[in-house]
Amino acid sequence: MISKSLATVNPCSMCMPMGSVLVFRGIEDCMPLFHGPQGCSTYMRLYLAHHFREPVDIASTALSEKGAVYGGAENLKQGLKNVIKGYHPKVIGIATTCLAETIGDDVPQIVREFQMQEPSARGVSIISVSTPSYAASHEVGYRVALKGLVQNMARKTKPNGRINILVGTIVSPADVRFLRQLLDDWGLRYILMPDISETLDAPLGRDLSAIPRGGTPVDDIRDSANSTATLTIGGSVQEPGAGDYLEREFGVKHIALPLPISLDFTDSLAASLEEHSGLAMPEIYEQERGRLLDTMVDAHKLMADVKTAVYGDTEMVLGITRFMSEIGMRPQIVATGAVNPAFAESAAKIAPGCKVMIGADFTQIAEEVSSRDIEMMVGPFTGRGIAKREKVPLLRVGLPNHDRYGASHQLLLGYEGSMHLLDCMANVLLDSKDIERLERAQ
Amino acid sequence: MSIVNIFEEREGHIAKKGEQSMPLACNNDSLAGAVSQRACVYSGARVVLNPITDALHLVHGPIGCASYTWDIRGSTSTGPDLYRNSFSTDMKELDVVFGGEKKLAACLQELAARYHPPAIFVYSTCIVGIIGDDLKSVCSKASDELGIPILPVASEGFRGNKNEGYKAACNALAGLIGSSEYVPKGPSINILGEYNVADDLSYVKPFFEEMGLEVIATLTGDARVAEIQRAHTAQLNLVQCSGSMTYLAKKMEEKFGIPYRRVSFFGLSDMSNALRTAAEFFGYPQMRELAEEIILRESKRVMPAIQACRARVAGRKAAIYMGGAAKAVSLVQAFRELGMEVVIIGTQTGSRDDYKNIACIVKDGTVIIDDANPLELKELLIRQKADLLVAGVKERFLAYKMKIAFCDFNHDRTVNFEGYEGMKNFASEVCITINSPVWQLPVKRTSCVGNRIQLNCLTAVNSDDIQEPCHS
Repeated sequence: MISKSLATVNPCSMCMPMGSVLVFRGIEDCMPLFHGPQGCSTYMRLYLAHHFREPVDIASTALSEKGAVYGGAENLKQGLKNVIKGYHPKVIGIATTCLAETIGDDVPQIVREFQMQEPSARGVSIISVSTPSYAASHEVGYRVALKGLVQNMARKTKPNGRINILVGTIVSPADVRFLRQLLDDWGLRYILMPDISETLDAPLGRDLSAIPRGGTPVDDIRDSANSTATLTIGGSVQEPGAGDYLEREFGVKHIALPLPISLDFTDSLAASLEEHSGLAMPEIYEQERGRLLDTMVDAHKLMADVKTAVYGDTEMVLGITRFMSEIGMRPQIVATGAVNPAFAESAAKIAPGCKVMIGADFTQIAEEVSSRDIEMMVGPFTGRGIAKREKVPLLRVGLPNHDRYGASHQLLLGYEGSMHLLDCMANVLLDSKDIERLERAQ
Repeated sequence: MSIVNIFEEREGHIAKKGEQSMPLACNNDSLAGAVSQRACVYSGARVVLNPITDALHLVHGPIGCASYTWDIRGSTSTGPDLYRNSFSTDMKELDVVFGGEKKLAACLQELAARYHPPAIFVYSTCIVGIIGDDLKSVCSKASDELGIPILPVASEGFRGNKNEGYKAACNALAGLIGSSEYVPKGPSINILGEYNVADDLSYVKPFFEEMGLEVIATLTGDARVAEIQRAHTAQLNLVQCSGSMTYLAKKMEEKFGIPYRRVSFFGLSDMSNALRTAAEFFGYPQMRELAEEIILRESKRVMPAIQACRARVAGRKAAIYMGGAAKAVSLVQAFRELGMEVVIIGTQTGSRDDYKNIACIVKDGTVIIDDANPLELKELLIRQKADLLVAGVKERFLAYKMKIAFCDFNHDRTVNFEGYEGMKNFASEVCITINSPVWQLPVKRTSCVGNRIQLNCLTAVNSDDIQEPCHS
């Protein structure tokens, strides 16, 4: 019997700087810069390029042995200078790596010096966040970077009558597009950040700019201190982040919501938006809701009691688990690589009796899958080894997805996203069974 | 004045043959802030060793380094698949503060007991170099206790570029080679610098066997630990990826007196030359005849398909950006076989000699670049009017966004490119991507209406999106 080992075998998480990139890439004219050795940025570029099928530029201060011994200040300054020269950014998001953290560079101080010394740095906002790989996972890196942005940039001026919509966890560009559309259709005035809808899923044909177009405008981040409220979408089990900071510092009321996957969680978002705006949800979304219900009824027998394993990022896993419970499926394993006790508590409530795993690797998940008669797995492509070995169908959702198309276009949010998810789950299940016998799914 | 001048510090690294002085500046630290396409020492070591299929590859460091390199190569196996797992000591804050030696020792015990590997490679990462864990002593102690080779790989990421990682990997391999005895059945070789990406070996190795040669070990594609341990019994080392494995070949020559020859299995002429090189080394007339027979038979077999592709790509311009120089050089010859012109050629880690060699084989007007970055590549692709880029995944989407055809010749390619069959596949892929109808699609639709309704007051209308009205 294999149990939790000291070593991690086949990790179900990534490192902190990775999360920071997904925030910085969602800011207009922002260039991410890793303070560390060249490899970190190259590896994460490769990883993200595979997933989004887009060019992903991440600069590096290219620390070498010299930097490691004498400190990385010179490299950091030179890196900043060259990023400004080559990319002309409005914002530079610096994330530290293990190396920079361990040699003890005082990054904020070096940045202050640079800003005083360097004329080309005028007008460029330079944000630094502390993201050593050994401290926590990519999800925490994401939260820390988002918080770092508002901490550095949000300024109280005059009320703007807008609502802050913080994307509190990693979702797809299609998900962000959906959120924007929803808010537009609702007639709301809002600040949405980060916004990767264009930057990591760019249309072909325009001139290729050094930094991909799109993202949350810098002025919007500054203005986020003046909004009427903040909704963090995908912030139900996270430690205090950007929303809490805005509430504490500027009195902007903060509500943390789960990701709107499932009927229930999407209803929660709708209720929050109604409460905030005083406007009822637009009719087209009522219709979407009806279509989702209709689909759930259509598929309820096929999905009944199907035993599943859901794994990946915390908020996404919770939303999918909630949805499975609504249809009558039986989530048996609800797992994340993050060490997040709030997730465990929430998962146990959503799917009573399931095996909840935090800080899990795929060896542990595999062990649970093989002992529980699992019929379907839902999560990132990294679970494919288990799926193959255990002959369990796998529906790929979330980051990373390196071996199938469409990661950027995968819509999971809202009534519509939930409906897609159900269609996909049903079809994956059918594909795995005796197709002829099930030719007409009940 | 360099042909592209985004960062002045990079001037010596870019030159146009016939216009700027050679050789290129190379093999130094990447420029901070310039978005180099290079990786790190660890990466170099990892790509060299990871294809050893039955070894356990343990990364001593925080989780990221293991996550991003899990199953990173398209190296396939004809047997064991332990190498396709990702093992990490997953160092946390406390390990960094108090040292990771104890955790590493415990992990080694545990993993050996659970997976029974014939050998374990332990990779050090940046953090290990900083906090000073003594990998050597932990590994040697564990090796004694467990009775299997446990090889430390000195691959702290910041200690240089990929080249240093290749060396670290070769040093670890040298620790394995010669540790078991074997008597080859006849004339024998090792194949070095061949990583069995997309089953490449199965399109190459059988030819050597057909010539009567026993392949003792391949390093490291589809390799088993036991084969590597007896690699010293071969009479000749054929070295393909010279950047990564020449260092080991020299070590083996020194220690075991095994001579080496550089070869390439990519492109018809290079593949044929590789067979001839082996035959000439052994000098048996019959082996030479066999080699010529194979060359004739195989060339004849694939030629019609290659010629058909050639007819559709000849005259087009290719850009090459590779990790190492050996593949880049081989590609120049292959493009010649396809009637294509090389207009840009670059590498991440080429040496002075590599660039001298490259400068000799390319035509005047070709741009040669060391340690490129996306801004420079983009500029060069436009200026040199490239129709095709051959590179890796990071460069793929740059090319596509520029509407330039692309061919992946890196370690995560999924199509075999080596041997005669491989050249056929390569020609076909080049032909498909260059001649795809997608490049002909209109990027801008002609609209007959000039005004567009603005759906939302907060959504700014991009002026690019509004077309001039047409006058039909």
